[in-house]
Amino acid sequence: MKKMGKIAIWDSAIETPEEIILAADMVPFRLFGDPTLGIDKANEHIPPNHCVWAKNILDQALNGMDSDIIGLICTHGCDCSNREFDIWLECVNLPFLFFLNAPLKRNETALRFFIDDMKELISQLEEHFQLNITSEKISEAIKKMNHIRELLREISDYRKKLVLKGSEFHTLVKNVQQMDKNKALEMLELKLEELKAQKPQSNKTLKKILLTGSVIDDTEFIRFLESLGFHVIIDDLCIGTKYFWNNVNETEEPLKALAEYHINKPIYSTKFPSYKRFETLKDLAKKFDIDGVINIAQKFCEPILYDHPYFNKKFKELKIPYLFVEIEYNRESYKQLTTRFEAFKEII
Amino acid sequence: MSAIKKTGKMLTATNKLKNEMGRHFLAIEQAYRDNKPTAWATAGTPVEFLYTMDVQPMLPENSATISAALKKSQDFIELAETEGFSYDLCSYFKTNVGAVLSQADMSLGGTRKPTFMLSSDVICDTHVNWFQVQAERFNVPHFTIDVPHVVSNTTNRQREYFKKYIIEQLWELLDFITEVTGHEYNSEKGKEVASNSFEMGKVWQEVFELRKNIPCPVSTRDTFGGLFPLFTMTGLKSPIKLYKRMYREAKERVDNGIGALEQEDFRLMFEGIPFWYNLKFFSNLERWNAIIVYEPYVYAFTKYTNPNVNKEMVLNKPVETMAELVLSFWYIYDLETRVKMFKKTVKDWNIDGVILHDNLSCRPNACGMYDLKRRLMDESDIPSLVITSDMNDPRKMNETQVLNQIESFIEILRERKKK
Repeated sequence: MKKMGKIAIWDSAIETPEEIILAADMVPFRLFGDPTLGIDKANEHIPPNHCVWAKNILDQALNGMDSDIIGLICTHGCDCSNREFDIWLECVNLPFLFFLNAPLKRNETALRFFIDDMKELISQLEEHFQLNITSEKISEAIKKMNHIRELLREISDYRKKLVLKGSEFHTLVKNVQQMDKNKALEMLELKLEELKAQKPQSNKTLKKILLTGSVIDDTEFIRFLESLGFHVIIDDLCIGTKYFWNNVNETEEPLKALAEYHINKPIYSTKFPSYKRFETLKDLAKKFDIDGVINIAQKFCEPILYDHPYFNKKFKELKIPYLFVEIEYNRESYKQLTTRFEAFKEII
Repeated sequence: MSAIKKTGKMLTATNKLKNEMGRHFLAIEQAYRDNKPTAWATAGTPVEFLYTMDVQPMLPENSATISAALKKSQDFIELAETEGFSYDLCSYFKTNVGAVLSQADMSLGGTRKPTFMLSSDVICDTHVNWFQVQAERFNVPHFTIDVPHVVSNTTNRQREYFKKYIIEQLWELLDFITEVTGHEYNSEKGKEVASNSFEMGKVWQEVFELRKNIPCPVSTRDTFGGLFPLFTMTGLKSPIKLYKRMYREAKERVDNGIGALEQEDFRLMFEGIPFWYNLKFFSNLERWNAIIVYEPYVYAFTKYTNPNVNKEMVLNKPVETMAELVLSFWYIYDLETRVKMFKKTVKDWNIDGVILHDNLSCRPNACGMYDLKRRLMDESDIPSLVITSDMNDPRKMNETQVLNQIESFIEILRERKKK
């Protein structure tokens, strides 16, 4: 069987319609950072005070992409996405690169624009790879992705039941975002069966937290929190609930349905009005009966830095314990934060 | 090179800028007295529409530069940081937060509660986040214009639907203003405002054209100093008069072979926003007989830089033309266009070297600067230097280090001239 090419996704807000890539018979492969890497080549392109996560991914690309990767879609998240995309274009050796302008706003006008931009993506994929991406194939992909979303929602619930660790769930979601979706379905179905047979943890001292913030793609960080006695019972992250919170409407015209899905899902800090993210957090905090909220900003992650004082104020009003931490993108720095997390654990 | 006579360096007309700024502040005071609607606007938004709809604009960025010039920005920034805003966030934003918290007077960079706020992500996400923060604190409505980002491989086909999206939002903006203020868009007044805006931009461009002359008649003292109305008063008549005076004076200098410097040895380009708290820093260049003859940041705000946009379009299709202008705004050029335009400018303005300001507060502008430098040097042998500092936060400027860098750079230019 012919090996399918991968289309890499560089996206800080998880608004890339994977269904279009699937409809092109390709594998959507989301790029993640690697906090064990020392940044080398990317420093020749990006100033020191720019997003460490984006820089890390660029560095990996400059050192050579996986040979299966035949193209890249960069989806607008924050300022660094469009400015750094030009550097990718110039310095990263890939035959196909597309910048998707996922809109900033959440209204009908933005929706129409998003549809236009997705149509353009389809045209460019078709022109470049000489293929035909039909509505039928997109609809088929929507169904597959919806199935994945449903399974992830169901599995996510086992975090609430204290059966599944936050770190295990994080690994699952990460894998789904990089692997062949048929294999992902098999993996999730197996995992669900396995979870159904498991009993909850009896550790009553665990502190249940809602995790929010920047892209957190290092599972080791979640394990670090767990080692301190926290349990990520719920999150509003892109390697988390933002990936599967809603389903795409299967009865709607497929591109419209995809645009609606992304525009209507819980907002991320890179979009407007990002303060609405607090509403999602507030609802999750209530629904999951959490002990506290931890908001993590990757170093120089502006969208999170702008939102933090507002979130701080609002959580104070609600008397929900809230901790904001800015982290370096390397594992050595985690341990230095131990005291802050332990102190937070004490107060909750 | 013709003999260069000594001049007072700064144009006399530029001194009149204070009058224009005063006029702007008086108009704001008057608006509050008359209970007229006011709006905060970020750079890059269509301030012309505000004037057309009888809404008094206020631009907090320009107010922030006033705070910096008066050595107040650091206090305001530190106050914002006590509110939880990171050391790494934009210094204009934090200056504004601090100034508002301190209830600073307009003359110190304060800005009063507006009727509504107008932002756009055309330049940066910060603009949108900034006004979100302040709109929530003041409890006023906030409209933002989402401008799709043009990257190096954006096609003309894409530009068409990008433009359509902006046009739709501009119509929504007009409806929003009517809804908030009760004021309708008057197309006759719109034409008058657009005509003034166009004329102002063009006069400023003519001043830049004069700077192609050797010696250059106009220095950064005039351009950075004269920038204020380009942001705040686009659409009004009075600043046109000021810019015309600047032009006439500069032309006279050109006709008489007079430069802004007594001796002009090096012609430089300065990319980025200057250090508003230390504008006198640029005087240091004079010790090496170096002059800045072109600033892309300043030129960008002449707005009418797109050769496909003419006055007729500006007057008769204001919304559509504004969308076109926003999409082709100089300050946010993609890397490929940026490289191309820099090379052309270096040639046209006879520039010896380029200084690029890696502004710690303006990541969108700083991103790509290293590649820009590399390509200017490798592909066109244009000497280029990156300096790191901040536009409004004096804590982030190491003056000695920057000066040493520039001194070494000038030495390189000197050696090249000998060859």
